[in-house]
Amino acid sequence: MIYREAGVYKSTYRADHAIFTIPQDRWSMIGIFAIAFLLIPAVGSEYWLGAIMLPFLILALAALGLNILTGYCGQLSLGTGGFMATGAFSAYKLATSFPDMNIVLVIFGAGLIAAAVGILFGIPSLRIKGFYLAVATLASQFFLIWLFITFGWFTNYSASGVISAPPMTIIGDIFVTGPQATLVAKYLFTLSIVVVMALVAKNLVRSNIGREWMAVRDMDIAAEIIGIPMLSTKLKAFAVSSFFCGVAGALWAFLYTGSVEPLAFDVNRSFQVLFMIIIGGLGSIMGAFLGAAFIVLLPILLNNLPTMLGLNIKTDMISHMEYMIFGALIVFFLIVEPHGLARLWSLLKEKLRLWPFPH
Amino acid sequence: MDMYERKIGDVILALDNISLSFGALKVLDDISFDVRQGEIRSIIGPNGAGKSSMLNVINGFYHPQQGSITFRGEKRKEMDVHKAAASGIARTFQNIALFKGMSTLDNIMTGRNLKMKCNIFQQAWYWGKAQKEEIEHRQKVEEIIDFLEIQNIRKTPVGRLPYGFQKRVELGRALAAEPEILLLDEPMAGMNVEEKEDMSRFILDINDEFGTTIILIEHDMGVVMDLSDRVVVLDYGRQLADGSPDEVRSNQTVIDAYLGVSH
Amino acid sequence: MRIERDIIYIILGFIVLMVVVPWTAGQLSDQVFFNWPFFFEVAIGGLLSGVMYSLIALGFVLIFKASGVFNFSQGAIVLFAALTLVGLHGLGLPMWLAIVATMGVMFLLAVAIERLVLSKLVNQEPIILFMATIGIAYFLDGFGQTLWGSEVKVLNLGISEAPGFYFDGQILINDFDLFAAGIAAVMVVGLGIFFQYTRIGRALRAVADDHQAALSVGIPLKHIWIIVWTVAGLVGLVAGIMWGSKMGVQFALSLIALKALPVLILGGFTSVPGAIIGGLIIGAGEKLAEVFLAPMIGGGIEEWFAYMLALAFLAFRPQGLFGEKIIERV
Repeated sequence: MIYREAGVYKSTYRADHAIFTIPQDRWSMIGIFAIAFLLIPAVGSEYWLGAIMLPFLILALAALGLNILTGYCGQLSLGTGGFMATGAFSAYKLATSFPDMNIVLVIFGAGLIAAAVGILFGIPSLRIKGFYLAVATLASQFFLIWLFITFGWFTNYSASGVISAPPMTIIGDIFVTGPQATLVAKYLFTLSIVVVMALVAKNLVRSNIGREWMAVRDMDIAAEIIGIPMLSTKLKAFAVSSFFCGVAGALWAFLYTGSVEPLAFDVNRSFQVLFMIIIGGLGSIMGAFLGAAFIVLLPILLNNLPTMLGLNIKTDMISHMEYMIFGALIVFFLIVEPHGLARLWSLLKEKLRLWPFPH
Repeated sequence: MDMYERKIGDVILALDNISLSFGALKVLDDISFDVRQGEIRSIIGPNGAGKSSMLNVINGFYHPQQGSITFRGEKRKEMDVHKAAASGIARTFQNIALFKGMSTLDNIMTGRNLKMKCNIFQQAWYWGKAQKEEIEHRQKVEEIIDFLEIQNIRKTPVGRLPYGFQKRVELGRALAAEPEILLLDEPMAGMNVEEKEDMSRFILDINDEFGTTIILIEHDMGVVMDLSDRVVVLDYGRQLADGSPDEVRSNQTVIDAYLGVSH
Repeated sequence: MRIERDIIYIILGFIVLMVVVPWTAGQLSDQVFFNWPFFFEVAIGGLLSGVMYSLIALGFVLIFKASGVFNFSQGAIVLFAALTLVGLHGLGLPMWLAIVATMGVMFLLAVAIERLVLSKLVNQEPIILFMATIGIAYFLDGFGQTLWGSEVKVLNLGISEAPGFYFDGQILINDFDLFAAGIAAVMVVGLGIFFQYTRIGRALRAVADDHQAALSVGIPLKHIWIIVWTVAGLVGLVAGIMWGSKMGVQFALSLIALKALPVLILGGFTSVPGAIIGGLIIGAGEKLAEVFLAPMIGGGIEEWFAYMLALAFLAFRPQGLFGEKIIERV
C-alpha cells in the first residue's frame, strides 16, 4: 500500500514513456542521488570510496555495455575485457600524445576508438549466431590482449612494463588522476560519468533502437521481415556496447588502479562482467548495477567471513571456496530466477503493492 | 449478408510463372495470378500445397527459381525482404512470430520502425526530436490498439497472452506499417467461432477503412467464401483454379483435390 | 555420410595454405627457418597435439549432441577427473583401481549435475543452460582444488615422453603423442559406433533434437542425461590423463578447454568426426603458425591464432565443417 501504482494516472503518452512513472520511484531516485552525490563523499571512508565504490561504478558501466549487447540485443559476447583494454590503452595513448587534452575528451575519445574496434569485431555477427558467436568474441578477447602486450608502441616502449596513468585535471586545479587526486574527486568524477551514461543507456533502450535490438534478440528472422536492418542494428549494439566498455576500461586504468595493464582485462574479466549481468538480470539497466554490486561485494564478504566467524582458513583455500560459492550462486540464480536480481526486485515491488495486506 | 461496396482498382501485384524448388522438391510449379488494389484475395488448398511458400515468395523470404513478380509497376525476378517491407508489404505468420520478450505495445511499435527516422544520437539524447517522434508513433499505434480492442493487454509481455490475442497483436504489428498489401497466413487457425467472427470483422474493416489489399491463406471455407473477392486454389504446388468464390466452389478439379480424388 | 564438395575444398585449401605460407615465410624472412624435414616435424607434432585437443572437444560434442547443452565445464571436468585420479592414487590405491574409482566418481558427478542442475532447468533456453555450465565450471574448479589442493601434481603413465627419431632419423616425433593419438582414435571409433548403431545412441540423438518429443515417446530423459554426462566424464578422464601426463595436473588444465572451442567451431558442434578433423586442423595450424609465422609478427600468437583460424572458416561455413546446417523457417 505504501508503494503502489494504483491511483497514478498518466494522461499523456509522454508521461507513460517516462523513466520513472510512479512518484515513489522518482522520490527514491532523488534520494539515491542525494546519498550518492552528497552523503557518501562526505562520510565515506577511503576504503569505501577507493576499494568499493569506484570499482562498483566502473564495473557497473561495463556491465551496462555488455547488457546492451547480450541482454538487449541477444549477441552473447565473451570479449568485454578486450574492449575495456582497448579503452584503457587508447586513453593512455591519447593522454600521452596530446598532454593538453582535457580528461573528459581523452576518456570519450578512448570510448570512440573502442567503439570502432567493436564494430570491426562485430561484423562476423551477421553470419554467426549463438555459441559460435560467443567463441568468436573470445577471438577478439585474446587477440586484443596479445596486441597490447606484444607491441611496445601501446605502452610507449616502457622498459619496466608498468605504465602509470598520467596525472590530469578536470577543471583548473582539481586533479582526478595521478597522485595529487583526492579520492572524493575521483569518486565524484566517476559517478558523474556513470550517471550520464546510464541515462543514455536508458534512453536508447526505450527508444526505437532498443526495440530493434530486442526484436533481433527475440526472433531475428521476423525482425528482418518487418524491415529491421540486421547488420546495422547488430553493429550499433556492438558499437554502443564497446563504447561503454571502452570508457569503463579507461576509467579503470586512470581512476581506479592508476596503471594500465593488459592482464586486468583478461578473459576472467569478461566472465566477471558476464556474471554481473546474469545475476543482475539480462535486459535490465538496473540489473547491471545490482549485479555489479553483488559481484564486487561478494568477495569482500567471503574474505572477511572466516575471520568474522573465527575460522582460520588459508588465503588460497579461500579463493578456491570463492570459486565454488560463485559457481553455485550462478547456478542457483539461473534456476530460481533466470532474470536475475532485477526481476526479484520487481517481484518485491509487486509484493510491496499489497503490503501490509495479505492479498 | 452485408455487401460492402468495395472499390477494387487496378492490378498492383502480378505473379507470373513462379516456380520454386528446394533441391529436388518442387514447392511451386508455374503459378500465375494477379491481385487488384483493394480486393481480398484468398489462396486456398490442402495442406502442403505451397500456400505459405507463395506468401514467402511475395515478401521476399524465398526466391523463386523461375518467374517474375511485378509490384507497383516494377517487374523483378525476386523480391527482397527489406524492400518488400519498405514498399508496403506486411504479413502475419502461420506460427506466431512475435517478439516474446516485449509487451504488446512494444511489439506493435516495432512495426513502425521503418517510419522512425531519428538517428542513434538523437535517441541517446531523447529529449527533443526523438521524444516527439516516439509520441507521434505511439499515437498511431494506440489507434491500432483501439481498433483491435486490445487496450487492456498493451503492457503485457506477449509470451503470456493466450493464442487468440497473440494473433491479434501480430495483426497489429503488421498494420502498424500502414501496408498497401497485407499478407495473412492462416489468421484464424486454432480459433473458436467467436474469435473467427472477430477476426473476420477486423479483416473486413481493414480492407474497408484503410483500403488495404489483403492476400489471405485460410482453411475455413465458410470464411474464405464470405470474405474473398477472388480465390486461387493450389494443390501440390500447382494452380488448380482462379476466380470468384462461386466459380471456384463449383470447379470439379478443386472438389476432387479436396476430396482426395487423384488427378 | 556424403562428403560435400566444399568441405574437401576447404581442407585442401588449408593444407596448401599451411605449406605455401611457411615456405614463403622461410624464403622472405631471416627469422624464419624452413626446411622440409623441419616442416614435417612441426606439422606432425601439431597434428598430434591437435589430437589431444580433439579428445577434449569430443566431450563437448557428446553432451551437445545428446542434450543440446553447450557444456562450458568440460575443461573443469577434465581437471576434476585428473585431480581425483592423482589424489586417489596418492592415497595409496594402485593405478588401475584409482582409474576405476575415478570412473565411479565421474558417474556420481553426472548424477549430481543431473539432479541439481539439469532437471531444474529442463525447458529453459540454451543460453541459460550454457551459463549454468559456466557456473558448474567455476564450482568444479574450486571444489577440486579445495579437496585435493592446488599444487602441480605429477601423473606418470610409464610411456616415454622422449622424442624418437622416425623416417631415417630425420624427424623427431614424440612417442607419447603417438600413443595419445592412438587412444583418441579408439575413442572416436567407439563413440561413433555407439551413437550410430546402439539403441541408447539413437535415444541420445533423439534427445538432442527435441526434449519434449523424446519424452513423449517414452525416452527417459533423466537416465539419458546421466549416461551422457558420465560418458563425457570418462572422455574427460582420458583427456585428463593424457594432458596431465604431458603438463602435470594443475589448474591450467581447465583452461585447455578454451582451446577446444575453436576446434568445435571448425568441426561443428554436433559432429564427432568434426571434432577430430577440427582438432587436427587447429593443432597443425597453430604449431605451424607459431613456428613459421610468429617470428615475423612478434611471437606468442598461439593464444589467438586458433580462434582466428576458426573464425575464418566460419566465414565460409557458419555451421562448421560437419555441423548441422541451421535451417530457419518462418
